[in-house]
Amino acid sequence: MNTRSGAEIVMASLVRQGVDTIFGYPGGVVLPLYDEMLNWPQVKHVLVRHEQCAAHMADGYARATGKVGVCLATSGPGATNLVTGIATAMMDSIPMVALTGNVNSWAIGTDAFQETDIQGITIPITKHNYLVQNVADLPHVLEEAFYLANSGRKGPVLVDIPKDVFTALTGADFPNEVQRRGYKPSADLNPLSFQRAAHLLKEAKKPIVIAGAGVIWSDTSDALRELAEKCDLPVISTLLGLGNIDRNDTRSLGMMGMHGEFVGTRAVQEADLVIGIGMRWDDRLTGKVNGFAPKAKLIHFDIDPSEFSKVVETEVVVPGDLAKSLPEFVANADSKTNAEWWTEIRAWQRANPIVVPDDKKFVARHVLHKLNELTNADAYVSTDVGQHQMWTAQLYKFRNPYQLLTSGGLGTMGFGFPAAMGAAFAHPGKEVWAVVGDGGFQMTLQELQTAVENNLDVKICLINNGFLGMVRQWQEMFYDNRQSHVSMGSPDYGKLAEAYGVTFFRCSSRDEVEDTIQRARKAKGPVLCEFLVEMEENVFPMIAAGKSNDDIITDPLLKQHELVEAGK
Amino acid sequence: MSTRLHTISALVHNESGTLNRLSSLFRRRMFSLSSMNAGDCEQEGLARVTMVVEGDDGDLRQAVRQLNKLIDVIEVEDLSGNDSVQRELAFFQVNAGVESRRSILEIAQVMHCDVVHLEPESITLQATAEPSRIDQVVALLEPFGITQIVRSGLVAIRVKN
Repeated sequence: MNTRSGAEIVMASLVRQGVDTIFGYPGGVVLPLYDEMLNWPQVKHVLVRHEQCAAHMADGYARATGKVGVCLATSGPGATNLVTGIATAMMDSIPMVALTGNVNSWAIGTDAFQETDIQGITIPITKHNYLVQNVADLPHVLEEAFYLANSGRKGPVLVDIPKDVFTALTGADFPNEVQRRGYKPSADLNPLSFQRAAHLLKEAKKPIVIAGAGVIWSDTSDALRELAEKCDLPVISTLLGLGNIDRNDTRSLGMMGMHGEFVGTRAVQEADLVIGIGMRWDDRLTGKVNGFAPKAKLIHFDIDPSEFSKVVETEVVVPGDLAKSLPEFVANADSKTNAEWWTEIRAWQRANPIVVPDDKKFVARHVLHKLNELTNADAYVSTDVGQHQMWTAQLYKFRNPYQLLTSGGLGTMGFGFPAAMGAAFAHPGKEVWAVVGDGGFQMTLQELQTAVENNLDVKICLINNGFLGMVRQWQEMFYDNRQSHVSMGSPDYGKLAEAYGVTFFRCSSRDEVEDTIQRARKAKGPVLCEFLVEMEENVFPMIAAGKSNDDIITDPLLKQHELVEAGK
Repeated sequence: MSTRLHTISALVHNESGTLNRLSSLFRRRMFSLSSMNAGDCEQEGLARVTMVVEGDDGDLRQAVRQLNKLIDVIEVEDLSGNDSVQRELAFFQVNAGVESRRSILEIAQVMHCDVVHLEPESITLQATAEPSRIDQVVALLEPFGITQIVRSGLVAIRVKN
């Protein structure tokens, strides 16, 4: 084996792992790596304008492809700027490798210029992390980092590399296979659990499935659909699970929970069996835990045994990788949901649709309803966090896995735009939309320059209501409408777009929505569409934090007569 | 469920950040950690860590599962049952003038403490025992005036399989 530098090993590792794009920002201690990078044209480096966005782009790249996303930053502030992006990926179990430089190994611990203990800082927000002190360890550490990030319950792995390790030489080569003693990507299957689960399903009169992102990351959408068809089961998707079943499938009930559709939330409260598949009973889904699914026995499928009994007690747990456990369960299950249960479900569904108002007001729902229709529900769509996120989840009828990019666990504002850029880098030629609010967009809009430089086909659907809408909604509903620091000014987005050289469309009425979206779809490169919508609209249904899912607040519009049911 | 002390033993990779990760987990998940004790073990590059955790059975189960999830952790076992031996090492520095020295030495003998150091006005004892016995020694020595107590925290070994 020839002698190579640490920097060469990093680049060789990326090529070896099939990484075609990385997102990063140079700085002092990563100079040797950036110098080496010039010799490796097969790896595209995207120069971001803030390291947080390098992490979000790597995350978006991963969410849109199922592959590991890679970001890179220098020591100190470069590394700490990654933190929000890494924490976002951790909460949603996104495969990511974050590479950071650090000061020379002999200077570590001396408070050297731009030194920070990024390993210590990221311990709680990474699946694992490394500080490489010897260049000979680098090949196996990098190999292990990719393996850990992308196996079992996926997650971000950080590798911190001191400057002198980039320049040091070694003859060490990559290992042929990675084995980490004590690391078990997924728990062993328990054949009894399939039989017990199938037995409970057979006995159930009112069964329902809640399917999460585990279905997406294990590529088991087909098995989920087969299960739904074979047993005629209603399927709810979690926020991160949207796309795990085609939303247009008659058995799909959409999302449930805090702002989920009435039908799913209600059905779980009435169900006698709830089958959670690749999900973790998040508080936004369960509401008050001891009021959740009060009549139901629970079955829980998950790759991560620490999720069992963490939030709720379950009747049957089915450990293991869904890629193996779900098909086994489908084979074991041989019952059919009875028709009365479906009749009840359909009645709730008919009476409580997500409504798109049909009056003069111009609201965000009009935009998302049209975006769904005009893109045939087939675009990659990212969101930020807040009202527009929930309206997107309600109204965009996601058809496929890896199609929705949203920060579900951490709820990171500023995520949407860079995440969409990551998806656009991953899928050139595909339609990619970032649905963002005026609050979140102003957190990361500096990446417009990155999009322009790369002539990236990414469309921004900016829902501008002049408010931090979700916080304002909570102040309205739970704090006597005392608006505290939620009114949000914006720059003139037309001038901003012009300054960056981004195509811009502004839309301030319902009649212009279709035209605006269609013009954006035809345009090449980055496009910013600003939709000036009604300022004080609320998201419904809603379950207040800490309340039971029985206490669902439905849309006041449902009481009016002239309704246009979403999607009809 | 009732709260009590549980003894957990973990076999871990002895690498940069390992102990940090273990303690970070307990802090982050709000498990109450009474003591943590790490040392080399029979396998090179690995360490064995004994942790005492306060909580109910649910907390214990979560703690074991979360520990198992750490990449550094090879195996975790609950040593709270009867098939393990548990000991703690403690030092006590006690005021001991001429008049009280004999009484303290009597207690030391009965309670199986070693005298590790003697000064004209103080005596330093060492005990290796179960924590409850160490608590007892503390109670017996307190009337004489204890100037320093150093306790190692628990170490435990499985003796039956």
